[in-house]
Amino acid sequence: MELMPDFDLHRPTDVEEAVRLRAETEGALYVAGGTDMIVNVRRGIEQPAALIDLSSVKELQEIVEDDDGLHIGAAVTLEILAGDTRVQESFTAVAEAATAVAGPTHQSYGTVGGNLCLDTRCLFYNQSEWWRKSNDYCMKERGDICHVAPGGKRCFAAFSGDVAPAALVHKAEVDLVSATGRRRVSLADIYRNDGMNHLAIEPGELLAVLHLPKAESGQPSTYEKARVRGSIDFPLAGAAVWLNQSGDKIEELRIALTAVNPYPHLVKNLDKFSGVKLDDNVLNEIAEMVQSQAKPMRTTTVKPWYRRRVVGAIARRLTAKLSQAS
Amino acid sequence: MNENMPIDPEKVEPVKSIGVPMPLVDGPEKVSGKANYTADFVEKDALVGRILRSPVSHAEILSIEIAAAEALPGVVAVVTGEDFVGQFGVLPIARTEWPIARDRVRYRGEPIAAVAAVEVETAQKALDLIEFEYEELPAYFTAEDAMAEGVTPLHEKRPNNVERHVEYDLGEVDKGFEDAALIREGTYDCAEVCQVQTEPHAAIAAYDGERDQITVHASTQVPYYVHLMLEQTLGMPRSKIRVIKPHIGGGFGSRTECLHVELVAGALARKCKGTVRITLSREETFITHRGRPEQKTTLKMGMSKDGRITAVDTTTTQRGGAYAGYGTVTILYSGSMVFALYDIRNARYNGYRVLTNTPPCGAFRGHGTVNVRFAFESLMDDMATELGLDPFEVRRKNLLEAPTFTANDLMVNSYGLPECLDIVEKASDWKKRKGKMEPFRGLGIACSHYVSGASKPVNWTGEPHATVNIKLDFDGSLTILTGAPEIGQGSSTILTQCVAEVLGLDVTRIRIVTSDSLVTPKDNGAYSSRVTYMVGNAAIDAATNLKTILTEAAARKMDVQPEDVECLGEVYRAGSQDQGMTFEEVVYAALEGTGTITARGNFDTIPESWGGDKYRGAAIGGSMAFSYAAQVVEIAIDPDTADIHVEKVWVAHDCGKALNPLSVEGQIEGSVWMGMGQAMTEETRYHNGLGITGNMLDYRVPTIIESPPIETHIVESNDPHGPFGAKEAGEASLAGFLPALTNAIADALDIRVSELPTTPDRLMEIMEDKKRESRKSEKEKAGA
Repeated sequence: MELMPDFDLHRPTDVEEAVRLRAETEGALYVAGGTDMIVNVRRGIEQPAALIDLSSVKELQEIVEDDDGLHIGAAVTLEILAGDTRVQESFTAVAEAATAVAGPTHQSYGTVGGNLCLDTRCLFYNQSEWWRKSNDYCMKERGDICHVAPGGKRCFAAFSGDVAPAALVHKAEVDLVSATGRRRVSLADIYRNDGMNHLAIEPGELLAVLHLPKAESGQPSTYEKARVRGSIDFPLAGAAVWLNQSGDKIEELRIALTAVNPYPHLVKNLDKFSGVKLDDNVLNEIAEMVQSQAKPMRTTTVKPWYRRRVVGAIARRLTAKLSQAS
Repeated sequence: MNENMPIDPEKVEPVKSIGVPMPLVDGPEKVSGKANYTADFVEKDALVGRILRSPVSHAEILSIEIAAAEALPGVVAVVTGEDFVGQFGVLPIARTEWPIARDRVRYRGEPIAAVAAVEVETAQKALDLIEFEYEELPAYFTAEDAMAEGVTPLHEKRPNNVERHVEYDLGEVDKGFEDAALIREGTYDCAEVCQVQTEPHAAIAAYDGERDQITVHASTQVPYYVHLMLEQTLGMPRSKIRVIKPHIGGGFGSRTECLHVELVAGALARKCKGTVRITLSREETFITHRGRPEQKTTLKMGMSKDGRITAVDTTTTQRGGAYAGYGTVTILYSGSMVFALYDIRNARYNGYRVLTNTPPCGAFRGHGTVNVRFAFESLMDDMATELGLDPFEVRRKNLLEAPTFTANDLMVNSYGLPECLDIVEKASDWKKRKGKMEPFRGLGIACSHYVSGASKPVNWTGEPHATVNIKLDFDGSLTILTGAPEIGQGSSTILTQCVAEVLGLDVTRIRIVTSDSLVTPKDNGAYSSRVTYMVGNAAIDAATNLKTILTEAAARKMDVQPEDVECLGEVYRAGSQDQGMTFEEVVYAALEGTGTITARGNFDTIPESWGGDKYRGAAIGGSMAFSYAAQVVEIAIDPDTADIHVEKVWVAHDCGKALNPLSVEGQIEGSVWMGMGQAMTEETRYHNGLGITGNMLDYRVPTIIESPPIETHIVESNDPHGPFGAKEAGEASLAGFLPALTNAIADALDIRVSELPTTPDRLMEIMEDKKRESRKSEKEKAGA
């Protein structure tokens, strides 16, 4: 266990106060469950001068249901999300993803917002200060080089959240709040393909609400991740699948991936399968398409080719499962 | 028993403790969180110690500039290698390690300085102010690289970086191969693994400047060796040193030798004439290491048509890390323990322990035996398959007949392996199911064994192997005083049960004080599964001596001959009609004239068990008793992900006699489970010598989800020299899991996995290779 830096702790009670504090306080960071961020703080990756604790902001703790769908506060814990019957029934992949995060203790602290905004991960980055210094740091933090792809100019640290791909296949949106106002954007739009800077969120903006639209809730969805151990582990590769079928033909298929790119990737070109009969050959084609869009790098101890391979296998298996279920 | 109740001697009988499943005597403190571990002893004036570690793998130290750190307000002391007068190391022949590096650093993370300060922030700031100047040297991260021509030696005395080459050639190996119907050879690779015990290392040292005395609390399995190394490295007389081992959160060999942390804490405390507490992080605990080495084994075996092993030729190489540690013993064990499981007459061995620029390896549970056993049981299975023999039958063809001496002179007195085999064969329904499993499912079997303490101690002093004292006073309570370190393995419970059984008393009348050099008799420590066997025997001896004293006192009071006195535990009487004396009355009688009684018991190994002198180092492996285990592993493999799911494990362990069946069961389960970790998921990896898996996310110890149902069976072969017939119970069941798993994979997929751990990416790679091969051969067939 390494040292915590000296920091001021703020505990706002509403969103407006939270974003105001964040704007006014130099070097401040939001903290909700802290299951990932505090580890990074102890490792010296983050050295916040102040933490803005969101656990007392009521708006962020609520799940609201209306005609548009479910509106989930960013500080709702993964445990509550996973246990919500409305989520389980209408957005199954989301509930399954929440259950797949780390272990039960993490789920009881970790939050929806935290998992969506999870920092990208890499073996050469998620290490102690002594370790990173002994290894000349890396371009994601204090250094110039990439140990994963030496000579490269890009950072390949992998996005490793479980909830994001599940929410993406349900066309989720999020509310971003800052001192200057609130905007609602598609979840897919808050990510970009850059391991160093994967969140397209303005500095100080707070992800306040996850919207799961009702229009997308009628179809079955599911999520699975590959990992070495059945608990604790971040995904080596993960896929969420959403399927709308009429008879034995695909109406619409959506697949989103995690842990194989610096951002959660909504698989492209799946519309080519619309109207196609779902058989073994098509399943193989789907797997191949998924694999071709997954770009895992040497960011974990498990080989990249395996992660690519297995993400295709999982997508294939889940698609077949949903098809049989409907 | 309530002391105020009148005793009816008709109803009194000695209380049984041996063979009774009972919870551990130190359980209540542990489950309620009251137990104090080393890091819990926070004294008010304790300073915080922190260690600066080398950022490079191999370098000459040019200078370590500490003046700025010393000048920082709040810093009380800074120490470097110059603050020590001697090197340390567990083997008297290989004390090559400085508590803090001097002249040279040999692995990334080796201590180069340490600081004591009033609080942790200041200590860290001080470390940042220390300037380390060095000149890098070539570094070697594999055994192969370290042994190559023209290398820079890590240690002057080892020009080719081979710490130790062990060889033997026993029986007629060449003739054995000539006689064989089938000869096969295979190469097997095991990754380096770490113990990852619950409690990271910690030490607190308190120096008394008035008296020049030091007291060290240490999270160690070997307080006596810590005591010796404090003497040796600090240059203090041993009479001025006190070592205390508090509760320990597991060891598994990680603390079977003195570590830097105790010695650095000692040096800091002395320099600042105060108390210094050092708690290592998990990463530092990984760096301290002393785990099982990366090891490559090439094994050649000859077998007759009916499965009899005719000859074995083993070559094995261990990447030992930067210092000797226990390494010589590890490479000797790998050779000596080729024997004593099966009847092998002809065997050749070449073992190489190699020095590399990685953290030093040590004595991990199953010390030295595990990786070679993996090779042996794998090849044996493949050859059985090739000869069309059942894996059980091949093993039965090669059984020993006890009592016997093996070809390398190991003394085997009790041998429950045949029964272990019978039990797991039946329990797993092997005969009906083997070879008839559904696709992607398989069954595998393997055997393993271990010593019950090394008959020759590391430090030969002429003292008995074990000494136990029992104190009995006016209050009628018994206190066992033992140096044997309770490290979570249950030794305090076993010693209590041994004493209780001899005296026929309930265990609640007995308390136990362990591992405080001020109070308890010296003990060599908790390693090589010596405690139950050796200290258990000493406890029985002490209790027997106490019983003699009590019986004689009772005889005097009752005016009868001692042989006429019957001990019923709470009552001593002369004949069944006698009202008798209560235990308290006997105690008073015994104290008359002498006062407080201390009864002593000893244990010594017999020379026949010392292992002989058939080759240099043959004493390693010599033991008074060997334990045996057989296990069947059933698996299911996910064809999409190559995930292996262990469906069930059936394991039978011959522990001689289960002194506490509950505790034995726990030890067997723990061994199987730890073997599973090494076999499936665990691996320390390095990036240019920098440990890249030094945390519990990237070093993947299995979780409870991976834990399979383990059906344990206890076999009791009643060892003639063991305490109540007992042998070791905590190690032998580990090694068998590895080959039982890969044998199950062979059954499921017709694939031989010879590289561990079998992570899904490794297995999928092999599955893919096989698919490609079979497609290729189909094409060739079609083409032909």
